[in-house]
Amino acid sequence: METTRNQRLALQDAMVFLGAIASGTEQAIGESASSISYLAGVNLGKKLSLGVPRTGDIEEALAATREVLKKNDYLWLFEPFKTHDQEAVVLEAEEGAQVMLVFRDCMIRQSLFRFGHSQKGSLCNMMYGFFAGALQNIMGRESSLEIIHAGENACYKKLVVKNA
Amino acid sequence: MSLEITVHEQSCRGCELCIDICPTKVFALDEEKRLCTVVHGEDCIACLSCSYICPSGAISHRDFHLVKNFYRDEEFCKKMEKFL
Repeated sequence: METTRNQRLALQDAMVFLGAIASGTEQAIGESASSISYLAGVNLGKKLSLGVPRTGDIEEALAATREVLKKNDYLWLFEPFKTHDQEAVVLEAEEGAQVMLVFRDCMIRQSLFRFGHSQKGSLCNMMYGFFAGALQNIMGRESSLEIIHAGENACYKKLVVKNA
Repeated sequence: MSLEITVHEQSCRGCELCIDICPTKVFALDEEKRLCTVVHGEDCIACLSCSYICPSGAISHRDFHLVKNFYRDEEFCKKMEKFL
């Protein structure tokens, strides 16, 4: 019981630290903070997805990415989503294939809310970077992850896997 | 889990804040009654932004996934050991 309590306290400390670093960096260096977090995310995505079999299928690649997160105990799980008027989950747009993603449990959102920081900041860009890195490894293609809506209980994002 | 979203007619003032904030266009304004109504409940992602923003607390959700307060979750704290 004491160990779990200590782990919980350590986790809370780490969250305060993470939130403070992100918020401080944003204030100190402005928009570059997002680039730094993005690159950290890319490195993480590439590192964790090493050895994942390559595929050209977006849905398979997303399932593999989800598995990578799950295997590493990252609380960043997501699901593809389509609205009632959308014909398919994957839509072909001019810039590439587009999938809407819903993120529910998210350690970043929890950290931000817990300590009163705003959403859509540099830490959220780390997620963008993570996907870019992972999909570069798995699909060999560039991608972008745009935050359409940052909600209290879920976030809605648009993933575009750019045409090769 | 089948999510249900309800706008309580007696509480809604038709301010349209829910319509503006919803990313998947779940709501529409009933022009006749001047009330917001759920038109595409199946598109709700349960972000709960409508519930939080509604000034009269008229919107409620049922059967949805509430995010984990993982810093309170003992199982998750144990998993975090490798990062700390």
